[in-house]
Amino acid sequence: MTPAGGIMAWVVPAEVEALKRWLPVAAAVLLVILGLELLRGDETRQFGILAAIGLFVACRACLSGDRRAAWKRYLGAVLAAAGFVVAVQLLLVGGRSIYDVWSVAWIAVPASAAAYWLLSPRVAAWASGRDDPAFVDACLGGNRRLEPRLRQVGRQTLLVHACLPVVVPLVWIADVAVSPGNILGGAIGDAFTVDHFANVLGSATFGTWVRNSFIVSVGTTVAGLLLAIPAGYAFSRYRFSGRRAAMFLFVLVQMFPGIIILLPYFMIMKSLGLLNTSIGLIIAYSVTALPLCVWMLKGFFDSIPMEIEEAAAIEGCTQFQIFRHIILPLSLPAVAVTALFSFLTAWNEFLLALVFNTSNDQYTLPVGLASMIPATGQQWGDFAAASILVSIPVVILFIAFQKALVQGLSVGAVKG
Amino acid sequence: MHLAGFASLLALASIGAAGDLAPDVTADPAKHEYRRIHVDVRHAPGPETTAYQVWFSEQPFSSVADAELHSTVLVVDSVAGLARGTPVFDIQDCWLDGLPAYRDADDFPVVLRGTASWSCSLSGMAPGVDQWIAVLPVDRDGRSTSLLSPIQARTDVPDQRTPEPDTLHITLTLVSIVLAVIVLLSYLRRRDIRGGRVQSSRAYAYVVPALIGLATLTFYPITYGVWLAFTDASQSHLGQESWNGLANFATVGASPGVVRVFLFTMVWTFSNVAAHVALGLLLAHVLTRPGVRGRTAYRTILLLPWAIPGYISVLAWNGILQPDGLLNAILGTAADFTATPNAARLSVILVNVWLGIPFMMMVLSGALQGIGTDMFEAAELEGVSRWDQFVHLTLPNLKGILVPISLLGFIFTFNNFNTIYLMTRGNPYVGFGEPGATDTLVTYVFSVAFDYGQYGVAAAWSVAIFLLLVAFSYVYVKRSGVMEVAR
Repeated sequence: MTPAGGIMAWVVPAEVEALKRWLPVAAAVLLVILGLELLRGDETRQFGILAAIGLFVACRACLSGDRRAAWKRYLGAVLAAAGFVVAVQLLLVGGRSIYDVWSVAWIAVPASAAAYWLLSPRVAAWASGRDDPAFVDACLGGNRRLEPRLRQVGRQTLLVHACLPVVVPLVWIADVAVSPGNILGGAIGDAFTVDHFANVLGSATFGTWVRNSFIVSVGTTVAGLLLAIPAGYAFSRYRFSGRRAAMFLFVLVQMFPGIIILLPYFMIMKSLGLLNTSIGLIIAYSVTALPLCVWMLKGFFDSIPMEIEEAAAIEGCTQFQIFRHIILPLSLPAVAVTALFSFLTAWNEFLLALVFNTSNDQYTLPVGLASMIPATGQQWGDFAAASILVSIPVVILFIAFQKALVQGLSVGAVKG
Repeated sequence: MHLAGFASLLALASIGAAGDLAPDVTADPAKHEYRRIHVDVRHAPGPETTAYQVWFSEQPFSSVADAELHSTVLVVDSVAGLARGTPVFDIQDCWLDGLPAYRDADDFPVVLRGTASWSCSLSGMAPGVDQWIAVLPVDRDGRSTSLLSPIQARTDVPDQRTPEPDTLHITLTLVSIVLAVIVLLSYLRRRDIRGGRVQSSRAYAYVVPALIGLATLTFYPITYGVWLAFTDASQSHLGQESWNGLANFATVGASPGVVRVFLFTMVWTFSNVAAHVALGLLLAHVLTRPGVRGRTAYRTILLLPWAIPGYISVLAWNGILQPDGLLNAILGTAADFTATPNAARLSVILVNVWLGIPFMMMVLSGALQGIGTDMFEAAELEGVSRWDQFVHLTLPNLKGILVPISLLGFIFTFNNFNTIYLMTRGNPYVGFGEPGATDTLVTYVFSVAFDYGQYGVAAAWSVAIFLLLVAFSYVYVKRSGVMEVAR
């Protein structure tokens, strides 16, 4: 066993490199699938998948070590072909639902790729131990062409699989919303009705929830900004005693678990008679969102050069005029993002709303929608329709402002 | 009245052979109370009659099949040995001659045969809604001995609420906190002016509203919560709690399942944060590589779990994992994924992993884009493998953000309430008063407070959690360098 010397040692066809990486990945995915098969209790499939995992591991083992052993290449190809046969068998004897086809594809595609590549002339030439310059040239040229493609395939596979758990539930929820009956079952696309949307839009309770959520969210945004803008401005522009201590308090508050404040909040709101009112929630939300808003706004104000203000001050502007006519217009996008952030926080908040507002006519949307899914008598169809109606505007706003929101959050959460 | 007459005609047709005259029932609006209707009954019970049944409905009715039985008044031949009184279960108050009616051993009001009139105050009547009420004499076998003639009545008396608990001390505390903040800031302001920082004296006016909000609505509740932990506060005597020493903390330490709930909280938090960071980093890494086709589309789709309101996603996942939900439909099974403890734990963790990946992905993509490409190009030329590039170039460059973001993720996940509450409410059930199989500290404290009403014990739990998190927050502040912005 003489290792191939010099530069030729690491001239490896891109296919082989890809197989070395992908076969273990495929085996790992098949392990997950095996777990799901154990849940289904289908022994044929369990056995088939277990066999495929073994074949892939063995095939991967054939690729390591001395490349010049010809039997290894042939054995690898045979193992891969056997994997393909297993896949075909599973498809012939087993079910053919989308899930079945997908799981068999995780055997069939890697297996056929491995068999095809291991028998290809390029790999054959490499495995025979050729290391003359002509071969190296050809191999490197082929790799340059193949590598980006293989990498693209790998990335696309990964990204598609990452998107599946997002897209499939969404499609399904949309299907529940347009299926007759307030139930979950039924195949996708088997029936169509707009009854649930009509129910939700026509019901007075849903209107009440939307109105309550709207009042609370707008109130929170306005109150929160009125508190946060001056504070953020002061922290950004002035150096005063107690500044660092105050800013530290604003960071500290963010780390308090909501549950600590929840109970005292509840008792204070109860004593003040603010349970089951929008005011109670507005007060609570605008103060809990305050620290992050202050930090976000401070970060944005910091980015406005001090010189503009100094110039305006020399021109004789009062402090308020500077704030009103220079700072505010310049930071309007930032204020808009902070406002959106407060609005979304209030719009989506569940825990405080659940505890504070216990009467149905004061429910906000989160508590209202959750009340459609009690332990028994769940109204899935109506819930799905309501969810879609509530989510679409929020999602559009979120996607439109995603960059700014992420930036703002990182300013508040992590150091700017 | 027309309707009632019509109804009695119908009753005549259906019953036919009823002996007695219908009782003369009149409602007396002057004696109605909140949710109570007062009726006076004048009737001479025949020899067959052993009881009166009071029926009611919100619609006119001609048959008792369309009405609900409100209460029964017995007719007896002797009241010897019986006492007058008000009922234990306050369904109805009845009077004879203006005094509370006699009650039999089972607390039924009793009328002496031969009594010409009696009165009842019927509870449970929705205010402002017309009710139809009929008094029906019945014989020993429950057959009516007269016609059914409902009368119409309604009570519009408003609720007389019990007076609110005394809120003076809370108001006083809030006012004094506001004053204290103002006094403190004025002192600092004067000090600044004396120290020559005249320009910045304006700043105090700007920060005062936010600081007052923070002091009254965050620091005061926290202090109040800490105080509650040392009292016997509970749902049954709200606002009258008294000092209880360390009893609540003893309860916390001795509560069954305290170790289990702590361990699950740790498993929940660490597995979530590890998965969020690892998968978020993987996706961010792939998405920021040059030449990924469909990058914008993928990024938008992968962002959706963050963009969709979290409670909606969790409720939808609740549906997906139901026996007739999506996952079972895909697999062709009918498993209940939240029925057994470990399956339920795995389910809630996976759902929360799904929810948390996009945030990490977005933050880390931003950070990855900030790393220059030069050194990767150099490494590529040197023949450094992709994996080594990732481990030795990418990760060290990300450390500055990975440390604070994972600690932040730790705090967020630790405090997460919605996922578990909306998925399982802490179930599967383990035992009364014990945390359920999927309860974390936070959801368990919620149920101690609002299901069991033990405010003091819940506050003690909160303090314990708080101390736990202070330790982590300390590390967070120390290591993230978050205070560097303050300079």
